[in-house]
Amino acid sequence: MPKDIYDVIVIGTGAGGGMAIHTLCQAGAKVCALNASRRLNPSKDFRNHRKPYNMPFRGFGDPTKRDKWIGYMDNEYTEGIWEHEIAYTTAPGTEWTWRRCFAVGGKTNFWGRSSARFANIDFRAASRDGYDVDWPITYEEIAPYYSRVERMIGVASTVQNRPSNPDGEYLPPMNFRCIDRILESGAGKIGIPYLPDRIAQLTVPHAGHPSCHYCANCTEGCDIGAFFSTPWFFLPAAEKSGNLDLRTNALCKNILVDENGRAKGVAYIDRNTKQEVEVYGKAVVLAASCVESARIVLNSKSRHWPEGIANSSGQAGRNLCDHLYGTTARGYLPQLLGQPSFPDNVSSSTVAWMPRWQNLDNPRQEKFIRGYSVYPDGGCSEFPWYFDEIEGFGRDFKRQIKRRYPTPVSFYIQAPTQRSDANYVDIDPVVKDAYGIPAARLHFEWDKNSLLMWEHGKHSCEQLLRSSGAEYQGSAKEPDMPGTSLHETGTLRMGNDPKRFVTNRFGQAHDVPNLYVCDASVFPNCTDKTTTISILAFTLRTSEYLIENL
Amino acid sequence: MLEMLAKAAVASQFPGFSRWVFGQQHEHQHTADSTPPARQANYQPSYFSPSEYRTIDVLTGLIIPNDESPGAQEAGVSEFIDFMAAHGEKQIQQPMREGLAWLDSAAKKNYRTGFTSLSTEQQTEILKRAAERNGDGHAFFRLIRRYTVMGYYTSAVGMKELDFPGLRFYSESPACPHTNDPEHRHLPAPKI
Repeated sequence: MPKDIYDVIVIGTGAGGGMAIHTLCQAGAKVCALNASRRLNPSKDFRNHRKPYNMPFRGFGDPTKRDKWIGYMDNEYTEGIWEHEIAYTTAPGTEWTWRRCFAVGGKTNFWGRSSARFANIDFRAASRDGYDVDWPITYEEIAPYYSRVERMIGVASTVQNRPSNPDGEYLPPMNFRCIDRILESGAGKIGIPYLPDRIAQLTVPHAGHPSCHYCANCTEGCDIGAFFSTPWFFLPAAEKSGNLDLRTNALCKNILVDENGRAKGVAYIDRNTKQEVEVYGKAVVLAASCVESARIVLNSKSRHWPEGIANSSGQAGRNLCDHLYGTTARGYLPQLLGQPSFPDNVSSSTVAWMPRWQNLDNPRQEKFIRGYSVYPDGGCSEFPWYFDEIEGFGRDFKRQIKRRYPTPVSFYIQAPTQRSDANYVDIDPVVKDAYGIPAARLHFEWDKNSLLMWEHGKHSCEQLLRSSGAEYQGSAKEPDMPGTSLHETGTLRMGNDPKRFVTNRFGQAHDVPNLYVCDASVFPNCTDKTTTISILAFTLRTSEYLIENL
Repeated sequence: MLEMLAKAAVASQFPGFSRWVFGQQHEHQHTADSTPPARQANYQPSYFSPSEYRTIDVLTGLIIPNDESPGAQEAGVSEFIDFMAAHGEKQIQQPMREGLAWLDSAAKKNYRTGFTSLSTEQQTEILKRAAERNGDGHAFFRLIRRYTVMGYYTSAVGMKELDFPGLRFYSESPACPHTNDPEHRHLPAPKI
């Protein structure tokens, strides 16, 4: 018999893991948290207060290292933070870009902070349009958890009275900029909502955390903790409680089971010693993020669970959804040509958004089902990337660059994919990561519905630019690569039927009652909203349910 | 780098992650980081030959001149270009060398002397032809212009030229000051 048995082992310290750790430790449970990489040191690792001319390569990066970067957040400023060692593969025909942050706090260190609540129109979408399944939960059930999360982390927005986009408990909103006022006027003319986004970024001091100082560089991490991340908001109190044993560089290999097939602990690789270590607990919380959690489940094979732990339904890894992201339109506002520069981007935030306006009253009004949201952006940025649109050189070239500086605007779509048999995660039969753990393999293609949204979004945003008096300059040729959003959902879906769903309405595995899942893998589908605040709300509920059942 | 800039154009437009690699932020007076490196008086190029380097320096000054505000030469852009080439930026190694050789041959053909010996007017004349979309040397023109822009607008001088708002500090999220003009149709006449 093992001598140390924790109450709960939590795999992951991001939004889900961090909230689980926080809730469990406050309730007095003894928690062992496993994190696959190191702790970050904000003053050393967050280079957010450096200017390009203080960086050796001006932020463009070392040409000999640049090829290894995954996506745009992995750059000279964040070197050594995003994960490159742990392999994943893609099936033939699948393109998937997968940025993973294995540092303590995970992606909450660098997230986008848009924090809208899911609504009944999302939970009951299948009842409205007949496609796929409803969620096993109502908005009324989860709403109090959203409120508690908003009080904990601080979300800035306004009351907007849109049932499809429920209001929460908000700090004062970020102010609209010149570009917002102009686009808001244009949107009003064609009936598109243009509203303050819900942003988990502190416009005023909140819950012991300072307000934002608008340095514009949130995606390099915040050195003062003015937006929610688990290292700033949850982990210090959990460690202070004396109930947390946080193990870093502990890469989860598989979940261990007892003679009855219940979870009894976790086997992990200590990345420093390369040795396999086992820890034991009365319950296990899986919060490694959607794809990684599926990988752990599928790699946790035993006599009881030949297809992976808690996978009698065969649904683990299936039903992968993602947000289709891409620039639906871009242009510039001639009204602002030659005007003084304005601090449009110092909040580095989604100051405004255009929340879903399609298929609200009639679920079949458009050619597609469900709906998408759009984030506008623009104004004075860090670099005049439009320079190649200006001809010539010399004094006039320099002047034109300055004249155009306040004017660029663009729109970025957030469109949910729908469940498809073609989209799933399995285990690569050949490839293993650097520690011998079989790699996750992604199978993914855009579904027709989300591509129809993409077309609709391009048209709507072009109309909006024109109604705002902007010069329209086109859209991206195609959406960004799948995986760009980091909003994967659905590999361990929740539902009432154990034959069709891996987890129940509390995120508890149907087959293995002491295994709980606390990340976006439990979400039955993807919505037009981002996932982090919902991971926090659902995890708070799951964690309290776990405590009752411990 | 072309792909990178293409991505940057998209990424910089994504609001949640609006900061791309061309980063910049407010002035932290108390940090050592806030002091921009000064241009070295006698910079020794490490990738390009002294003569190639002189030509690059002249070209950057023609592309972004010193007028009401300092230009690319004052910002040390040629040092940035040499540094990037020396550290493996392939696009500005051989292609840049070939372009510089072409430039010198064009100068010799038209004026019987090397590019750096020409008057500013003559140099501008050659560059004007290269700047035409189908002109000789157009690919080279776009290349040197691209790296001049990259070097200039990531320098302290270039960021001041655009009055980059991240050079100041904000205690609250900045609000549009034109409260009575939502469509911004009655703004003061631009000075630029």
